[in-house]
Amino acid sequence: MANPLLGDTPGDTHLLLGNEAIVRGAVEAGIQVVTCYPGTPSSEVPDTFYRISPDGKYYFEYSVNEKVALEVAGGATLAGAMSMCTMKHVGVNVAADPLMTLCYVGAPGGLMLLSADDPGCHSSQNEQDNRIYARLGGMPVLEPSSAQEAKDMARDGLLLSKKHGAPLLLRTTTRVNHLRGPVEFGPAPAPGKPEGFKRNPPHFVPIPAFSRPMHVRLMERMEALREEAENSPYNKVTGSGEYGIVCSGISRAYVADALDNAGLADKVTVLELGFSNPLPENKCLDFLKSVDTVLVVEELEPVVENELRVLAQKNGLSIEIKGKDVLPRNGEFDVTMVENAIREGLGESPVPTCECSLPELPGRPPNLCAGCPHRGTYYAARKVFGDDAVYSSDIGCYTLGLLPPLQTADFLLCMGSSISAGGGLAKASGQKVVAFIGDSTFFHSGLTGVANAVFNAHDVLIVILDNRTTAMTGHQPNPGVDKTVIGDNDHPLDIESAVRGLGVTEVRTVNPFNQRKTMAALEELGGMSGVRVLIAKEPCPLYTRRVYKKIAPQVAYVAESCTGRFDCLDKLACPAMYKEGGKAAVNPILCNGCMLCLQVCGHIKAKKRGS
Amino acid sequence: MPDTKKIRIFMTGVGGQGTLTATTLLAKTALSQGLTVTSGEIHGMAQRGGVVESTVLIGCKSPKIGIGEADILLGFEPMETMRALPYLRQGGLVVSSTEYMPPLSVAMGKQECPTIDDIRKAVSTCTDKVYFMANQSIGLEAGAVQSGNIAMLGALCAAGELPFGPEALEAAIKANLPAKLQAVNLKALELGVKALNS
Ligand code: SF4
Ligand code: SF4
Repeated sequence: MANPLLGDTPGDTHLLLGNEAIVRGAVEAGIQVVTCYPGTPSSEVPDTFYRISPDGKYYFEYSVNEKVALEVAGGATLAGAMSMCTMKHVGVNVAADPLMTLCYVGAPGGLMLLSADDPGCHSSQNEQDNRIYARLGGMPVLEPSSAQEAKDMARDGLLLSKKHGAPLLLRTTTRVNHLRGPVEFGPAPAPGKPEGFKRNPPHFVPIPAFSRPMHVRLMERMEALREEAENSPYNKVTGSGEYGIVCSGISRAYVADALDNAGLADKVTVLELGFSNPLPENKCLDFLKSVDTVLVVEELEPVVENELRVLAQKNGLSIEIKGKDVLPRNGEFDVTMVENAIREGLGESPVPTCECSLPELPGRPPNLCAGCPHRGTYYAARKVFGDDAVYSSDIGCYTLGLLPPLQTADFLLCMGSSISAGGGLAKASGQKVVAFIGDSTFFHSGLTGVANAVFNAHDVLIVILDNRTTAMTGHQPNPGVDKTVIGDNDHPLDIESAVRGLGVTEVRTVNPFNQRKTMAALEELGGMSGVRVLIAKEPCPLYTRRVYKKIAPQVAYVAESCTGRFDCLDKLACPAMYKEGGKAAVNPILCNGCMLCLQVCGHIKAKKRGS
Repeated sequence: MPDTKKIRIFMTGVGGQGTLTATTLLAKTALSQGLTVTSGEIHGMAQRGGVVESTVLIGCKSPKIGIGEADILLGFEPMETMRALPYLRQGGLVVSSTEYMPPLSVAMGKQECPTIDDIRKAVSTCTDKVYFMANQSIGLEAGAVQSGNIAMLGALCAAGELPFGPEALEAAIKANLPAKLQAVNLKALELGVKALNS
């Protein structure tokens, strides 16, 4: 039976993750092409498209990075295909170059960009607000606040984008991507065939002479979309009262619950902006005139707040507008925080708080899994270079190498930066640099870094941690893998040939669980200068279990002879190990049988799993 | 949907414990009772052995629970129960496991977890509605350690704070879990209800 997300079953209700709801919305719109680069909190959107792709009527790909993903989707929409491209907020930085021009060129088949922003940095290096990109490029923005809206807005956004030929931003935040709620399905008719590309250079080739009129058309398009926003059911006014609240995105849910808790729903007028760009100026103006104070409730930047201030100023309104002066500009909101801001505005006392104080508890930082091959590489690097090298890190599970005892991540900028920033640091200071990068990240934007390092004669030892998958975001395939959850990869790229092809002559490949060979290779390459590459190749054990359907036949155990020196625990920090009665011990349920600890201490032995 | 009393349930555990499966099952149970339900989860880096927090909210729009907002705190690991205590409102209900999953610093002997007595004491400053149970042992007795989470859900349903009882959860298990997992989880549910009443 095909997945329910694909069925033409209007009226059905399913409990869906926000990200699954987005997939359903796209299916209802008749989606034809989907591209992505996975990144938390967006990943379940492409993962769901991928999982159900054997039965779907769309083309799906995991692209090598966000820029490429958007370009592929951009080409597809020019061919008249309804297209969608998904990424996390920082991914839009990578895709910003094609994005800005795509807004000029337009999207004849419809094109929706999903940007999953992450207020609170649950799994990201920053908390940038991508609604600002939409203003920079000129894109309409929809911001869902529930699973139902995630579905409806994905559908309506794609149809709106196609109608106006305007690339559209579906802007979610972590809470929306990862909430679950009931979703009522609409019809999902089968999509037709894309019309194909219609040659029209003045519209599609942005040389300066053509770009100038394109910019004018873009502005006209945005005015037409402003009309749509004025009439959109996603922008609505509820309640009555002198005190006004304007809210967008997930803040709408917080406002609704806060008013309910406080019993103030009848004393306040609320303007919800689910279709938040371009600003429906008439609707907003009417609203501003109907109240005497306004509180703008939006997470992160004061985007709507500033637009309302401009609108009020232009129209000579002297209304009081509050926002970032009473609510924070960083992190997430919650219901009580919003309720207190409203209470303060109405002169009421805040919600009483509970004063329970807790002692300091042991932390539970994430750790590389038991049997993670990165532990082998990091252990060897620390042994060989200690604190003499500067460790340049990158984005992936292996960033967890920053924690003691491995401590092999000294700085980090973005995807692919380990190689280029590492080279820059070495050029500037002459310090020894070891740059770590994963296989997926290498294909994402490490390749250009290697080319740059070779061309500019950087002095950097690059270690490619090839675990045969994209582990951090949920084990998505990348160009190097040979197997995926839905079949074999027919065109696996070989990393060693790739780096040789880019002009690196000193390349070694090792299995990081072979400590002797790994250390010997690190010592040898460490003694050289220029660009050198070590490929530490061994699949992630979680991926091995899921995709290769294999588990290691052995587990480690600590022999009676253990002297309680605890080198294994102190230097490897494998989560399967613990102290018991002055000796080390291994939890056989957690042990993944990598046999790394056996090479660290002779008192640890292997036995058959289950024996 | 009927106008229901708002109930906010905060769940916490350790990555890999099955916290999210339990969350979804509880949300589906509430939905099957015709209740308005939203649930939320935060994962990502936390999956690599870190803390996982999730929520089920009945009658609310928001998927998030802030400090002091939870009516119910469900702790699948005792130290995480304690860490999450600030989320509980005064007088809320706590259902917690007594069996530890020590974090690395504790396994390495560098730090110590608070004792169950410490945790009891801390909880008692917030509420006297508290149930502790050995969820991993109960899970093992039922047939799989992860089913301990379902045992705790069973206990929660039997505690009388939700607008439905254990039968609703039983029906949801039968409707949503694959056939081969049902027997174990139904057994866990039964043991969980029993643990609450003992
Ligand atoms: S063999 Fe040793 S290092 Fe590897 S997973 Fe087992 S306990 Fe951990
Ligand atoms: S998921 Fe795989 S690659 Fe990531 S930390 Fe765990 S074992 Fe290592």
